[in-house]
Amino acid sequence: MTDTAINELGPVDYLVVEFPVGASNFTGEMAKELLSLVDRGTIRVIDVLVLTKNSDGTVDAMELSDVPNLGDLQVMEAQLAELLAADDVEMLAAAMEPGSTAGVLIWENLWAAPFASAVRQSGGQMIANGRIPIQAIIASIEADEASTEGD
Amino acid sequence: MPLRPARVGRVGVIGHPVAKTAVVAAAVTPGPGGPGGPGRGAPIAKTAVVAAAVTPGRRRRI
Repeated sequence: MTDTAINELGPVDYLVVEFPVGASNFTGEMAKELLSLVDRGTIRVIDVLVLTKNSDGTVDAMELSDVPNLGDLQVMEAQLAELLAADDVEMLAAAMEPGSTAGVLIWENLWAAPFASAVRQSGGQMIANGRIPIQAIIASIEADEASTEGD
Repeated sequence: MPLRPARVGRVGVIGHPVAKTAVVAAAVTPGPGGPGGPGRGAPIAKTAVVAAAVTPGRRRRI
């Protein structure tokens, strides 16, 4: 990849969405919303894997192309970059409960690419990033309200 | 089904075992107040709290 291409790359994130035994209810809504994000240029999907963690802790990995009845996702499947290596499967599956199935999604945040590029060109270096859990926000506000009530 | 050959033998990008995060749904699970009940445990109250946290104009107290 050229320096120019790297400079224009948006932040790349991943998530692992677990579906506990008996809890999955695939209606096609997830695929529809994901494709909507792609179509609007918000994200670019880089890789997708479907993992199944067996009761003995072993993990089976499935390519998106091996999933039957892909439907609208078929278009996206052809554009995947296969970023994840076999070694990554065990790392990602560490968070899964035995008996569950999980979807792994890797994507580039296209919406953030221009800003990220501008930051780099300005000499900035990202030294930290992360996500604030909703639970933490709730806890913060509730603590704030509790202290206010005590005033 | 096996992974594609291109994935085998490559250096991974994740780098460490992933830890399970708190399930976000827990944030809207009814608490002691119960659904529709008084107190902060109700789902509606939780939603309102989060909305308040991200509302422009809220000022931090330092």
